[in-house]
Amino acid sequence: MFSRCWFTASACGCKRNASEFLREQTAEKAEMIEVVCNDRLGKKVRVKCNQEDTIGDLKKLIAAQTGTRWDKIVLKKWYTIFKDHVSLGDYEIHDGMNLELYYQ
Amino acid sequence: MGSSKKHKEKEKDRDPEDRHREHKKHRHKDRDKEKDREREKRKRSRSRERSSRGTERDRSGKAEKSNAEPRVKKEKLDPAFEDKSEPGPKSAGGDASLSIEETNKLRAKLGLKPLDLNENKKETGTKEEPLVAETINPVHIKQQAEIREKLAALKEKRLLNKKLGKVKALGDEEPWLDDTAAWVERSRKLAKEKELAEKRAKLLEEMDEEFGVSNLVEQEFAQEKRDSYGSRHLKGLKVQHKMDSFREGETVVLTLQDKGVLEEKEDVLVNVGLVDKERAEKNVELKKKKPDYKPYEEEESVDDMLVLKPKSVLSKYDEEIEGEKKKSFRLSSGGFVGGERERELQAIRENLHNQAQSLDMPSLSLATEYYTPQEMVGFKKTKRKVKKIRKKERAGDLLIDDTRSTDFGSRSRGRGRRQDEEEGAEPGYVALETSSKPRDVLQQSDDIRMADMEISDEEDFVSPEPTAFEEDEAEQELQKQLEKQRKLRQKQMLKDSGERVAEHMKQMETAEDDDNDPDKRNNIVFNATSEFCRTLGDIPTYGLSGNREDQEDIMDFEKDVEKEGGEQSDSDMDDNVGWSTVNLDEEKVTADFSTASTTILDEEPIVNSGLSAALLLCKNKGLLDTQMLKVARVKNPKPVLANDNYCIEDKMNIDDKYSRREEYRGFTQDFKEKDHYKPDVKIEYVDESGRKLTPKEAFRQLSHRFHGKGSGKMKTERRMKKLEEEALLKKMSSSDTPLGTVALLQEKQKSQKTPYIVLSGSGKSMNANTITK
Repeated sequence: MFSRCWFTASACGCKRNASEFLREQTAEKAEMIEVVCNDRLGKKVRVKCNQEDTIGDLKKLIAAQTGTRWDKIVLKKWYTIFKDHVSLGDYEIHDGMNLELYYQ
Repeated sequence: MGSSKKHKEKEKDRDPEDRHREHKKHRHKDRDKEKDREREKRKRSRSRERSSRGTERDRSGKAEKSNAEPRVKKEKLDPAFEDKSEPGPKSAGGDASLSIEETNKLRAKLGLKPLDLNENKKETGTKEEPLVAETINPVHIKQQAEIREKLAALKEKRLLNKKLGKVKALGDEEPWLDDTAAWVERSRKLAKEKELAEKRAKLLEEMDEEFGVSNLVEQEFAQEKRDSYGSRHLKGLKVQHKMDSFREGETVVLTLQDKGVLEEKEDVLVNVGLVDKERAEKNVELKKKKPDYKPYEEEESVDDMLVLKPKSVLSKYDEEIEGEKKKSFRLSSGGFVGGERERELQAIRENLHNQAQSLDMPSLSLATEYYTPQEMVGFKKTKRKVKKIRKKERAGDLLIDDTRSTDFGSRSRGRGRRQDEEEGAEPGYVALETSSKPRDVLQQSDDIRMADMEISDEEDFVSPEPTAFEEDEAEQELQKQLEKQRKLRQKQMLKDSGERVAEHMKQMETAEDDDNDPDKRNNIVFNATSEFCRTLGDIPTYGLSGNREDQEDIMDFEKDVEKEGGEQSDSDMDDNVGWSTVNLDEEKVTADFSTASTTILDEEPIVNSGLSAALLLCKNKGLLDTQMLKVARVKNPKPVLANDNYCIEDKMNIDDKYSRREEYRGFTQDFKEKDHYKPDVKIEYVDESGRKLTPKEAFRQLSHRFHGKGSGKMKTERRMKKLEEEALLKKMSSSDTPLGTVALLQEKQKSQKTPYIVLSGSGKSMNANTITK
């Protein structure tokens, strides 16, 4: 991991170096992220949540904003259905990711 | 994360442009919210790079959504807009988004912990003011990790040692092992301790005694020992085994079966070994895998032992549902168990079983085709009647014996007597008889004789006198003949039909008496048709068909008479009109009979022979015209036209009434008189020179005359040529070639006066050698 970040840092030539990058990586663990949930039927919601939050919590937040019930919501990415008990960090859901919003 | 870096690159490049473009974009889209937010962003201080990146990403995402592909890369990167502290609804696409505070409120309501705002970002700084962060020293980090591990290991060791430290190792030294003094000391110490312990115990006991507890304690212990059970205690205890499993003479130890602490069921005695055995057996049974489905099992049945098996559905699950049923028995008083009752029940059941009748039908078996030896015993053979076969008597013997009396006392002697009587009356005909006899005799066979014998047995019992068998047949023949004669005479005498009727009546009366001649009875048939026909008058064709036997017989007889005697009974001719001629020409007579017989009374031919006979009958009756008539076909003078209005306008003027008058409108017909006139017409045409013309040429000639012009040049030339050729052909001699070479040759011969002609060319040149070129 360390070697990789060395390499990438030098390759892309950005001013931020590897240490910064690492810090970023590690720092993001319990960080606030904003996830976009799109219905493709007109409902598009941006939800702020923690990395440690579970999908269920995220669903609740979405429900508060959209007005549906949280247990009626299904979050998907292509065919991957996100399960309620898993955290966003475990699902590698990062800031600004788009999630597909379905209903059951 | 690499992608984000790419994004950043592009962002840097297009920063100023994008900003402007984005502004324009937003204006175009007319999103007020957007504008407001942007203004807010502008006002705020610069956000951390992290957030900017985030927003950039958001915006890039938005851009992707809202715009076409080429614009994707353009992101509004204005750091002025960004503010991490108040991200707010950053929607470029109208997304609903809550601010952090709002989100936190919501989270608190939902019971989630508030948003974890990352404070570290501030240290990293923004893009425009990048802070130099600490360098990451991987080596340092490694070292740190190592140290941590070591520390952890040491800690664990310490703990372990602590635990194990108490145990004395072998190597540890004990002071008292080596040194006697120390050992002595130790032993003393131990002894002291013992004493102390004893003292304490005593003290405690004294204290117990004071309170009176010790007695109770003793009592309890004593009782426990005393409380072993006796046999009387075993009454009514349940033993959970089959009674059969205990054999006589063996001792089996039973123990109480395990049961739950709180269960209050009664005690059950079991033997551990037996329990295991039973379980093993059950397992074996299960392993056998007997089929659950028994299609022909009766639902409710009574066993042989009269045990009723109730109707059960899915009986294989009963054990599972209700629990395993275990057989058990109870001990009686004194711990004994008899089992007599069981044995009694068993005996009763067996008795009943023996008495019971099985409902099974006797099994079906193939029927044997042959009798069994047992059945053959009762099988009686019937005796056959032995038929005596008489040997054939030769004809020669019979002839010899003809003259002497062959009357051996047969029962039909009566007949024989009559025979004698009649013979006397008519001696003339005896010769016939006798002559016929040997013939008859010869023809006879044994069977006929037997038959005759039987017949004679039936008929005549009046005078049972033996006569020769061969005479019966002869007798019958005789009787026939006599009858015929009699009839003939009767007819001769009785010309009146009335008398004939009387005669018939008489005959009928005497019919019963006369049994001997069955033929006679058959001849007189008195039925309605015949009577009716008789009243018609004398039937001209009566008897011609040959149906009338008597007539026939009479006829035959007559013929015979004629043959022999040469008599001619003209009177017969007169009487029997149907007889056209009684002359030697028999064939004609027979022919006439045959033809005439088909009329009037004969209905049968129609039935038998079909259409032809029916037609014949009709012809006879005159229903049909047997003569073939020529029917003149009459045609309708006016043809039926489909359209009445249709008419052809004649070239001629039809309106002229005179012309119409002359017109013949009737139908025409061939002359009947000229039916047979069939002339042989031959029309020959000739041309100008007199040659006969073929039909084609004739027609040509006709048409030339009709049209008024002949053929053209070519045609006429051809015709001329043809005619010339024909002429030449005619001129042509048969014996000569067309060119007349033979004649020429002959002339040449004449002129040369030689019988030969020399062909052109010298003789030398016409050798065999020269001919072949």
